[in-house]
Amino acid sequence: MWSYLSKRIIQMPLVLVVVSITIFLIIRLTPGDPIQIMLGMQTSPEAVAALRAEFRLDEPWHMQYIYWVGDLLQGDFGRSIRLNAPVLQLLAERLPVSLALALSAMLFAVVVSIPLGLLAALKRNTWIDYLATGYTLFGFAVPNFALAMILIYVFSITLGWFPITGIGSGASTGQGLWGAIQPYVLPAVALGTLQTAIFTRLLRSSMIDVLNQDYMRTAQAKGLQPLVILLVHALKNAMIPFVTMLAIQFGYLIGIQVTIEHIFAIPGMGSAILSAVVNRDFPVIQGFVLVIATFFMLANILADILYGIIDPRIRY
Amino acid sequence: MPLLTVKNLRTQFSTERGTVRAVDGVSFTLEEGEVMGLVGESGSGKSITALSIMRLIKEPPGKIMADELTFDGVDLLSLSPAQLRDYRTRHIAMIFQDPMRSLNPVLTIGRQITETLRRHLRLSGGDARRRAIELLELVGIPRAEKRLDEYPHQFSGGMRQRVMIAIALSCNPRLLIADEATTALDVTIQAQIIDLVRRLRADLGTAVIWISHDLGLVAGLCDRVSVMYAGRIVESGPVRDVFYRPAHGYTLGLMNCTPRVDDIGHRLKPIDGMPPNLAEPMPLCPFLPRCEKAVEACSVKRPLLETVANGHMAACHADLSDHWRKDKVA
Amino acid sequence: MATQDASSPAATPATYESGTRMALRQLLRNRAAAIGLFGVLLIVLLAIFAPWIIPYDPTAIALSSKLQPPSFAHWLGTDHFGRDVLARMAYGARVSLTVGLSTVAFAALFGVPIGLLAGYVGGQLDNVLMRLMDAFLTFPPLLLGVAIVGLLGADLTTVTLALGIVQIPVLARVVRSSTLVVREETYITATRALGAGAWRLVSQHILRNILSPLVVQITIVFSAAIVAEASLSFLGLGVQPPTPSWGRDLSEARRFMVDAPWLFMAPTGFIIVSVMAINFMGDSLRDALDPRSWVRRAAPTKETADAPADR
Repeated sequence: MWSYLSKRIIQMPLVLVVVSITIFLIIRLTPGDPIQIMLGMQTSPEAVAALRAEFRLDEPWHMQYIYWVGDLLQGDFGRSIRLNAPVLQLLAERLPVSLALALSAMLFAVVVSIPLGLLAALKRNTWIDYLATGYTLFGFAVPNFALAMILIYVFSITLGWFPITGIGSGASTGQGLWGAIQPYVLPAVALGTLQTAIFTRLLRSSMIDVLNQDYMRTAQAKGLQPLVILLVHALKNAMIPFVTMLAIQFGYLIGIQVTIEHIFAIPGMGSAILSAVVNRDFPVIQGFVLVIATFFMLANILADILYGIIDPRIRY
Repeated sequence: MPLLTVKNLRTQFSTERGTVRAVDGVSFTLEEGEVMGLVGESGSGKSITALSIMRLIKEPPGKIMADELTFDGVDLLSLSPAQLRDYRTRHIAMIFQDPMRSLNPVLTIGRQITETLRRHLRLSGGDARRRAIELLELVGIPRAEKRLDEYPHQFSGGMRQRVMIAIALSCNPRLLIADEATTALDVTIQAQIIDLVRRLRADLGTAVIWISHDLGLVAGLCDRVSVMYAGRIVESGPVRDVFYRPAHGYTLGLMNCTPRVDDIGHRLKPIDGMPPNLAEPMPLCPFLPRCEKAVEACSVKRPLLETVANGHMAACHADLSDHWRKDKVA
Repeated sequence: MATQDASSPAATPATYESGTRMALRQLLRNRAAAIGLFGVLLIVLLAIFAPWIIPYDPTAIALSSKLQPPSFAHWLGTDHFGRDVLARMAYGARVSLTVGLSTVAFAALFGVPIGLLAGYVGGQLDNVLMRLMDAFLTFPPLLLGVAIVGLLGADLTTVTLALGIVQIPVLARVVRSSTLVVREETYITATRALGAGAWRLVSQHILRNILSPLVVQITIVFSAAIVAEASLSFLGLGVQPPTPSWGRDLSEARRFMVDAPWLFMAPTGFIIVSVMAINFMGDSLRDALDPRSWVRRAAPTKETADAPADR
């Protein structure tokens, strides 16, 4: 297992190099000068040139890349051109927000999908199974921003239960714990519905698969209590793909928040990248994309580790 | 009173193609300490008969009916699910066909053995573990103490089957149903298992239903044998009688396609054709289309189980005495 | 065991031609497939025949009739410029379908050869190509789209490029794994022994065998592309106004959610319905093209858990 894992971890920097070069190329080879955009057209060419030099934008792109990686290795993500602040500081502000949103979406997906998926498998072709299937089809078909609009219309505008914005702004309508949770509810549901659908379908099918296995008949032939059969013999097997998928999807959730952040005015990493792209704020785009790709990869490695831990058959 | 009484057992499955009568009127009794063989080709209803006795048929789509299905005087069909659970493995234990898939892949062997001990015998964790080690040694698994903490995938097929047998024997059941229990094992291990079953029967008086298509094995192990075809018992009786003086065309066919050590040069003859579709009504003998010994009566009515000799019954119109092994008849 | 025997006649192997016919029949019998096909057809027809069906120009501004609720004159109401919403949806469907189709074409153009090459040649080449594909898969797809479209400027070409790049590794992987399987199968070896050229080998055997997983994956890519285009347009990065686009119209509708809720309902509905219809078609195609599912018709539900998690 360790040799496999170390191989995966050694591969990580290589993949990150490919990712960062690609994003670097896209950024540098496209038209649009961040300094011009920031300073406007009236600024003197000298001032523009000075700033360009300060951000090393006058160097060829491969030199810029080498400088960037050199700084990165010393823990320096560079400075935002537009905000004139360290990218690292921006990351420190935005990353916790994105993590909190991803976690709350995950929590919603897990809390809904476990009972739904399991009950659908146990009570096949009953109303709960049809409900699970219907929800799954809907979840796979509705984009998160469209769902967010529906949720806002129903729960914020019509019913007035939840604020439209509020994460990171402190503008919550509730008090105490509920006040802290409240602004996360609609974004989490909108963001996590696709994951809920994925988990529900996965859990249902893996549970059905497990229930049809010969060892379930053995468990019955042993005269064990139904709850023991379900919780120990069935669930432990059915949870293996589920837990793995959990880790992978968490990695995804961090990277797909941009539309949700846009709608609910959440100051997360996605909206930071969006405005950085619009303003050609190169250091911010590079740094944030790299961090998100790293999270994605770590989530995949975590999935492999979890797989190895919960499934005794896996020995890397 | 017999330990197990099965009278007119019918197990059916409703499918898209109609009702499949997998077991269609099986009757037999089993005494304490008796070993009965159940033979027949796959699809003949042997396993379904076993699963019906364990009440492990999923209902629906399955349905178990019987005029009588009693174990030690208790009606198995009227037991509540909770009562049924108290019988399974505790009193009636079963070894399944496929050792590769019958053990739970994510639980240790120890856990899978001890859970029956703790459930049925109320043993403590330590006692259950000690007993589990005994059981593994009993079925011939070396380094039992260490292997208890391993997972099924670390065991070979033969070793897994031994674990299955250890689980089945864990609570000293009074009836053991072994469904092709040794088919996956090589001959030497097979012999060890057979020896184990013999000892169990001698020491504990365990009754055994031994399901197999290996006639030689059944001949060596069992007191009596029942031959199943298309969901029915077509012939049953003492092992010697049935095998040396078969009274049903199907049994004769089975004998002819089984190699015999004592008869070198004997030509093996496979049975032509396919078993019948169990979803269709069978007004005549189900073996008729494949039978070489059919007589006129066969195309008129279905033969019923009738006594041929003392304790030997067969459902066949034909007279097969020409084929009897005269040399073996006492 | 008895039930198996009873079903065995259905399992008799079919010839290639009757296999195709069987797949077709299976597809038609399936109600989900019919609904999916109907939905897709409806949207395609609406997109193609929009000028003849709908008597409004989707970009014609008529402030006198702005923000009207659905009526006989305007089935889905009008927006804040007085433009007919149904007309905008129909013309928006053109954008969605165009982007979906061209993304599929672009991704297939690169993904299929890469997958074939990696799977058939194998060895180091396979290793290098697939590691490269893995690297591309670590990009959050939408963010890559945001970066490319945001930087290159928004038009149909860049949107297609951005969405297509993300899908190349997806298709390459599917093609590679089916190629690997087919390559191992004995009849390929047999053909090789008969002296068939490598090209004939690849084109005939492998392509025929990877067709069904590829077709299924393509429907997934298609619906993912439609969602991604809508997302980009929603963020203001997709096609630019006044070109109608479901995502952009949805974004505009945010300002009028209280006064004119039909404005956000229309694009939401169109996106959900079209994606659902395509998904239905994809699921049914998978069932129909999978010969194993012909045998076990008793369980019509999809037991496979391949989640298109790339949104």
